[in-house]
Amino acid sequence: MLPPALSPFTSFWRLWRSLVILTGKPWLPPSVRQAEMSNAKERKHAKKMRNQPTNVTLSSGFVADRSVKHHNGGGKPFRAQKQESFSGTSRQRQTRMTHYSPPEPDVNEQSSSKVTFNKKGGWKAGPEGTSQEIPKYITASTFAQARAAEISAMLKAVTQKSSNSLVFQTLPRHMRRRAMSHNVKRLPRRLQEIAQKEAEKAVHQKKEHSKNKCHKARRCHINRVLEFNRRQKKNIWLETHIWHAKRFHMVKKWGYCLGERPTVKSHRACYRAMTNRCLLQDLSYYCCLELKGKEEEILKALSPMCSIDTGLTFAAVHCLSGKRQGSLMLYRANKYPREVLGPVTFIWKSERSPGDPSENRQLWIWLHPTLKQDILEEIKVVCQCTEPTKSTVCISDPLLTPNQEKSQTKLPDEKIGKKRKWKDDGENAKPIKKFIGDGTRDPHQLYSWISPTTGILISDLTMEMNRFRLIGPLSHSILTEAVKAAAVHTGEDTENTPHRWWTETCKNPDSVSLHHRQEAIFALLGDNEKVRQLLLEGVPVECTHSFIWNQAISKSVTENKISDQDLNWKRSELLVPGSQLVLGPHESKIPLLLIQQPGKVTGDDRRGWGSGWDVLLPKGWGMAFWIPLIYRGARVGGLKEAIMHSQYKRSPYIPGDFPDCPAGILFAKEQAKNLLEKYKRRPPAKRPNYVKLGTLAPFCCPWEQLTRDWELRAQAQEESSVASSPSGEESDWRGDEVPCAPTPEKTHQVSDAMGTSLHACSEPRGRMDTECPAQMGTEWATGQDAARRHLCVLRSRASLKQLSAWCGPSSEDSRAARQVPSGGQQELTREACLSLLDRFPRALVWVSLSLLRKGSPEPHAMICVPAKEDFLQLSQDRLYCGPQESKHSDPFKSKIRKQKEKKKLEKRQNQGHTVSEGLEAGHTMAEHQAPTLGLWSGPLPDVTSHCSRVLLGFVTQGDFSMAVGCGEALGFVSLTGLLDMLSNQPAGERGLVLLRPPASLQYRFARIAIEV
Amino acid sequence: MVRFKHRYLLCEVVSDDPRCRLSLDDRVLGGLVRDTIARVHGTFGAAASSIGFAVRYLNAYTGIVLLRCRKEFYQLVWSALPFITYLENKGHHYPCFLNTLHVGGTIRTCQKFLIQYNRRQLLILLQNCTDEGEREAIQKSVTRSCLLEEESGEEDLSDGGEEAAEAME
Repeated sequence: MLPPALSPFTSFWRLWRSLVILTGKPWLPPSVRQAEMSNAKERKHAKKMRNQPTNVTLSSGFVADRSVKHHNGGGKPFRAQKQESFSGTSRQRQTRMTHYSPPEPDVNEQSSSKVTFNKKGGWKAGPEGTSQEIPKYITASTFAQARAAEISAMLKAVTQKSSNSLVFQTLPRHMRRRAMSHNVKRLPRRLQEIAQKEAEKAVHQKKEHSKNKCHKARRCHINRVLEFNRRQKKNIWLETHIWHAKRFHMVKKWGYCLGERPTVKSHRACYRAMTNRCLLQDLSYYCCLELKGKEEEILKALSPMCSIDTGLTFAAVHCLSGKRQGSLMLYRANKYPREVLGPVTFIWKSERSPGDPSENRQLWIWLHPTLKQDILEEIKVVCQCTEPTKSTVCISDPLLTPNQEKSQTKLPDEKIGKKRKWKDDGENAKPIKKFIGDGTRDPHQLYSWISPTTGILISDLTMEMNRFRLIGPLSHSILTEAVKAAAVHTGEDTENTPHRWWTETCKNPDSVSLHHRQEAIFALLGDNEKVRQLLLEGVPVECTHSFIWNQAISKSVTENKISDQDLNWKRSELLVPGSQLVLGPHESKIPLLLIQQPGKVTGDDRRGWGSGWDVLLPKGWGMAFWIPLIYRGARVGGLKEAIMHSQYKRSPYIPGDFPDCPAGILFAKEQAKNLLEKYKRRPPAKRPNYVKLGTLAPFCCPWEQLTRDWELRAQAQEESSVASSPSGEESDWRGDEVPCAPTPEKTHQVSDAMGTSLHACSEPRGRMDTECPAQMGTEWATGQDAARRHLCVLRSRASLKQLSAWCGPSSEDSRAARQVPSGGQQELTREACLSLLDRFPRALVWVSLSLLRKGSPEPHAMICVPAKEDFLQLSQDRLYCGPQESKHSDPFKSKIRKQKEKKKLEKRQNQGHTVSEGLEAGHTMAEHQAPTLGLWSGPLPDVTSHCSRVLLGFVTQGDFSMAVGCGEALGFVSLTGLLDMLSNQPAGERGLVLLRPPASLQYRFARIAIEV
Repeated sequence: MVRFKHRYLLCEVVSDDPRCRLSLDDRVLGGLVRDTIARVHGTFGAAASSIGFAVRYLNAYTGIVLLRCRKEFYQLVWSALPFITYLENKGHHYPCFLNTLHVGGTIRTCQKFLIQYNRRQLLILLQNCTDEGEREAIQKSVTRSCLLEEESGEEDLSDGGEEAAEAME
């Protein structure tokens, strides 16, 4: 667009100039251009014909006479002649032959046919009465000359390579060899010279090696370690990185390099491994926070962060004893049910002397790396830990006394020594150390904090341990086969081994007996029957002891790891190759901690699916365990398999399925960005037009708006019902009505005095209503209102149980009858709904959906409420697939087109003048956020009622389920919407919803279920 | 491969009249063949064979001519060649005829054939030669072509060299 101040004349001038510039080169009359073009064509043709022999006519011999007509025989014959002349043949022949080759003037002079042929008495008489002589008869020698010249010309033409192919490509297939283009000597000798030339040409084009070292030097061990250390400075490598990088698609995520999925096709194989065999995952990237201090202090500090409402807390009896691992949701202190920080698992170190409150306890909290920052900060706040301390690693050295270890009876299973150890002085002298653990960590930075008031010590143990996860029924046997219990030292010859801690332990009869008990329990794992029993009863508390809790021992084990090189050296010295290497007392003893994972714990079907073991081992030992586990038959999965695992477990995946925690929001944003980018890469005609499909948000789920719209909807309904029965009680389900607010941007107060107890309160539909709580008067209202700003996910177990009972079709009387007396369930009444909504306004509910018939759901599919006629049709026709959404119109299309035209015009003008650049730049900037064709631009309208069926929620994970044999999806729905739908649906069809993928118009029936 | 397939006719112009050679020219020859085709095969034949028709190589000294035409209609061209009985240039008629030596799919095969053919001719000439001086001259040109052959033989990509060697024996 032009600035308005410019006169039309200027604009014309500019337009004209821009035209000139656009053409790219000065304007030329067509004839000139044609000439140029034909020149180019000629050149190309000439290049092609460069090696071909040219015509030879007699007229070419008369150049001297007809000086204008230039001869055309500059090709091969000429060169052939030259060769001959250099080879020193007779002068006579030379002159005779020159009539083929007259381009050089001096040759031309004497090359007239007169001279030549007169001498030889050859052809005589010129054409058309010229004085040229034409030979009367042919002599054999001229005849032969001519043939010879032709032969040489043809030979030249034939031998020259004219095509663009490389030398080795001209060879027949059976003569080709591997790596021919790399190594010239693999070619037949006659071609080597040409190939050499070609290779030299290619080398020039190739990018030069940036490394100044040769290949061999780069591959040498020390340099490789250096290089690897450099490469893991930015993103942390797991210990199994090299192994993974060879077999997996790697991604850089969360500050780590992680294997995303195997390069081999293995989706189904991984599922089978999880179900029938064993799947192995490296979860070492999970972060571990350690809390040390008095039990009651820790519990007191952490209790505001979790709620009994969501299930167990840190104080759960089984977990507190150290017998089991617990899992829970963390919230910001006292903010439940809002401001979720994320899910964590935790494990207590079993107590030394039960019942002693003064004892120092140790608590490990395991969490996903995306959640670490928030949770660590919050824990530091609640524990009042502000003072950084020196690294904890060196603290626990004095603890390394036999007494201590004996009494420290700890968590799950065993400490097993498997590998051998040998003292090696050379190892310590090595100047370059491989990175073990966190390569990005600054060694001088402090990773522990202590609280002066509560005495709690928090340390960040990220990457200090390896965590491998085995999933599947065969994980027990794989574990028992791969790992064996350490032998107890008895002799006295063990003083100089590096396993002093083990020797000390073995001197204590108590710890030896404990070790034997642990060994016995570990042996039980091999037997399936006994495993079941073990799972039911759990491990005795004393046996849950592990030395891995002791930092000093872990550290010494890491440091004294015998190197692979030494080990292999020893193996090679064995008398019988391949036999077992016996290291005796030098064998390494590695403390382990085995944690059982419960697998699927919610719902009725497939309980315990995906259960298995987590193996914790000290850092540095990752590969030593990884390979044996794989050799025992475990299949390895990556991040994608982790998602699949959680999907089949119907549990939310971290961090994608936590829309209310900061990590989840970040994840959604990133995902939306990636998907949008991918979408924009396709041409508009080859991608779905989401506006026409009625999909408002195909790449991200607008949870905030969904809940808000549902709230408004409910309020509108409320109003109508309030009008009929204006009870005072109803009003606390606060309906500050904005019935006529048509645009979300409307931020001015729309106060609407409704009834007596309703407060005039602004509810800007778009953002938070912070300015008004003062008007609410009561304390309660303030808290509620502040809480209302953010959405939350319903995690209260009681409420979920109730909802889950309501969701099932109540026509199955037996089940409903069973549930009602047992759980004391409430009927689905209006009051019950309202009280629930009151506690959790703007809440989302995690639901699982299974499709009734056809259809495979995708992420971001829409969950909708079926209309009355859908049920009608479904009841008439059991095979009814579902209704169809009618096509929407695209109001943006014409706008985009217009804008494009405008832009084009502007561009031209812009190129003309560069003076008012700033203004134009602003323009283009504004237009940079131009709407994409096929996507809704601008603020979304009411998401719930945009389509013919009312929107309830979105799917976050969905796929065809190999476990059930039909499509299954997981997602969130609005609590308000869910209750509204359930109360309006007939009892027989309760819990039926419609699913629609973002790129389709077809709705499919699905049954909703809430699993607790 | 995707390309127009051609046929190359390697012919030899045989004429008693040396002036015929003098007036041998690609334009003249092309027009002659075209006229003949039109005469023999009519308008259809002329049109069908005119696509892609060209004189690729011509040597007035040896009388060798290389004609190109499309593969589909090369028989029309080929069958018209015997009907050429004279070469017309600027009002002069020189009786001659065309002798087809070889029909090939590429220029290259024609060239290879030509090498072989010429060599054979030289050998025949050498054997039948009686004059001592001429015999020497022929001998020289034969050896020259052979020398050239050996020089280029090292980088010879084709089996033409071997063929030539066989021809020599």
